[in-house]
Amino acid sequence: MMLKGNDVNGADDAEQELRYSRVRAAMAENGLDLLLAYGPGWRRENIRYLTDARVTGSAALVLVPAAGEPSAFSVRPADLGVIAQRGWVTDVVRLDFPASTVLVERLRDLAPSRIGVAHLELLPQAIADAIAAGAPGAEVVSATGLLDDARMVKSDWELAQMRRSAAVCAAGWQKFVDVLEPGLPEYRIVAEVEAELKRLGAEDNFMLIASGGDEVMGMTPPGPRLLEEGDMVRTELTPQMNGYWLQICRSAVVGRASDAQRRSFDLFNEAVEAGLSVVRPGITAHEVAVAENDVFRKYGYGEYCTARYTRVRGHGHGLHLDETPIIEGNHTVLPERAVFIVHPNTYTPIAGYHVLGDPVVVTATGYEVLIETERVLFETPQGVAA
Amino acid sequence: MKRGLVVLDSAEVPEQERPGRVARLQQRLTDEGVTLGLVYADVHRSDDLGYLTNLCIYWNEGILAVPAEGEPAFLMKLSPRVHGWMRRSSTLTDLRSGKGFTALVQGLVENREQGVIGLVDAALWPATAVEEVRAAAPGWEVRPLGGLVREQRLVPSTAELDLLGRAAAALRTALDAGTAPDLPDGERIAILEQALRGAGYTDLMVEVVHGPDGVSAVEVTGQYRFGWLRVARLVAPHAGVALPSWAAAVQNALAAARGAVAPGVRAAAPAAAAENAFTTGLPSGAVLHATVVHQADLSTGGDYASPDEELAPGAVVVVGVEVLFPDGGRVAVADTVRVGVTGAEDLDAEEQHA
Repeated sequence: MMLKGNDVNGADDAEQELRYSRVRAAMAENGLDLLLAYGPGWRRENIRYLTDARVTGSAALVLVPAAGEPSAFSVRPADLGVIAQRGWVTDVVRLDFPASTVLVERLRDLAPSRIGVAHLELLPQAIADAIAAGAPGAEVVSATGLLDDARMVKSDWELAQMRRSAAVCAAGWQKFVDVLEPGLPEYRIVAEVEAELKRLGAEDNFMLIASGGDEVMGMTPPGPRLLEEGDMVRTELTPQMNGYWLQICRSAVVGRASDAQRRSFDLFNEAVEAGLSVVRPGITAHEVAVAENDVFRKYGYGEYCTARYTRVRGHGHGLHLDETPIIEGNHTVLPERAVFIVHPNTYTPIAGYHVLGDPVVVTATGYEVLIETERVLFETPQGVAA
Repeated sequence: MKRGLVVLDSAEVPEQERPGRVARLQQRLTDEGVTLGLVYADVHRSDDLGYLTNLCIYWNEGILAVPAEGEPAFLMKLSPRVHGWMRRSSTLTDLRSGKGFTALVQGLVENREQGVIGLVDAALWPATAVEEVRAAAPGWEVRPLGGLVREQRLVPSTAELDLLGRAAAALRTALDAGTAPDLPDGERIAILEQALRGAGYTDLMVEVVHGPDGVSAVEVTGQYRFGWLRVARLVAPHAGVALPSWAAAVQNALAAARGAVAPGVRAAAPAAAAENAFTTGLPSGAVLHATVVHQADLSTGGDYASPDEELAPGAVVVVGVEVLFPDGGRVAVADTVRVGVTGAEDLDAEEQHA
């Protein structure tokens, strides 16, 4: 397989029309006459959604008026040509941070009365001040949820990108298993996997890891720890292809798996199956999480589904890797074409932190698992324990 | 993303060095009349936090609270499950998790006499986080501050310079392999990822970018421990094919910029030297610009740095020349150098470690 990010065609005019009509409908519904999508260095998903361009600057904005052409701003000169070249937004301007006078002037011209800001919660003080100066009478509200909702339902084009990510997930996991051996430091595993993902065209990757026995409580960036025979090595790999992230969660044993590790796998696999079994259009994130957690409760491990031991029971995917959380209490409806991972990752005393999960797309009748990697407990050299 | 090696090793940075950095910040806070300094960090911009504590915030956001007297505390939206790892990999002992900053800051200021809270690098703070701090501390004055930690980071210590030199040597070797002729882009990136993350880099961004005439550039930006480097090299279209004249002139422009690096000059001066040295015509519509970015600012690519800042002796900077083409293409050349008494010095030069 040889997939290259540079070979991917950008989204077409129909995709652009679909996104902008969806966003503008939501703006009208929310009484917004202007939308400002802010993208700091670690949350650029809305910039990509509205420009189809891969920006690299530490701060970028897309300004979408209720009617008329959008504008884009970035603090980094190289972004301007990249955005303009894609052609979705042709009015592209360097943002003169912190004064942001170009934004102030644009807002003065438009004189909006109600502005929605996506990622308002991350907007730097300097840009917030510029909005206040440019639109002194305007009401400013968060539009983070508005764009999260717009991005949740994937188009055919978006699903095609995510299927490419799925293929790279599988290849990355295979490399992960292939390199495991006693004496290898954790960070060298990451180096090998990163190289494989990038060779296949991944733009980026999010990856956490943990190795060891039943003392392992969670995953972190890699350390210098050397693998030992009998270790369970856990990871979540999340390559990004042409903007779209997708995750695979698996665990592998260095050598032969113990009975406890097999029992742990059986528990987690049953929880994944339970979560998947309820997926259909209109299910809520809460209901998926309950289905997963009920398996732990059934076997007396319910306390390990709490925040003391775990974070979420899965999460959405798309242009951001960690979209709506699959967690009890989140009543967000998951519609057809939503993409998320079902992963009941948590600690139990059986064999320590266990990582297992599959990404799915919600179909008209249920779900489709997007990766082809077997959901088993892997052993090395290559084998299957459970 | 920060998914490479994270390690706290007193053989690399002496045990007393980081407390010394905190003590210098506390002195600056006292000089400014500030009772409690707050340093914001997120996964994209967290080098102040790393410098003071060795903590790598690999996801989400947090606030390091440094009182003018006493121990620092880290307030975060990450789960307490990661506290054990944070204690092992940083100098922090006071770790506090919560869903929002308001309750965390309330917990911090309760039972303290009201005073002045200073926001380090206030212009870059999320406005909502500032509001949360204000809401949590009624009766306290909340005052914006400049880059009180960045100003310490501008000149690396001997230990940091050693680490940068080690990182530069690994980068030089990897780049020789990654810029070999006739490799696919993905293979170039893979070679560099494998070599540099395998050498212990924490963060790495490798780009292969393209200009006209078949010219490419390989640009590597990496973080080793908490120091940053960037190097970029041009690659000819094929083995045995010389670079076109405009590309060779870009390399000469970089040499001119390096030649203008000296203590006390403004960051804009080497950049101007590069632009003045570029006399060969660029392809139609292309724009060349040169920059000098401090390694302390490299997590944000120098997006927020001032070209008017003077280069301090001993500082480590990235000298770069970039050409942007009208079709969105780009090539770049760059070196990371130390501002020596006599000019730019390579980081892995023997004289650095004598």
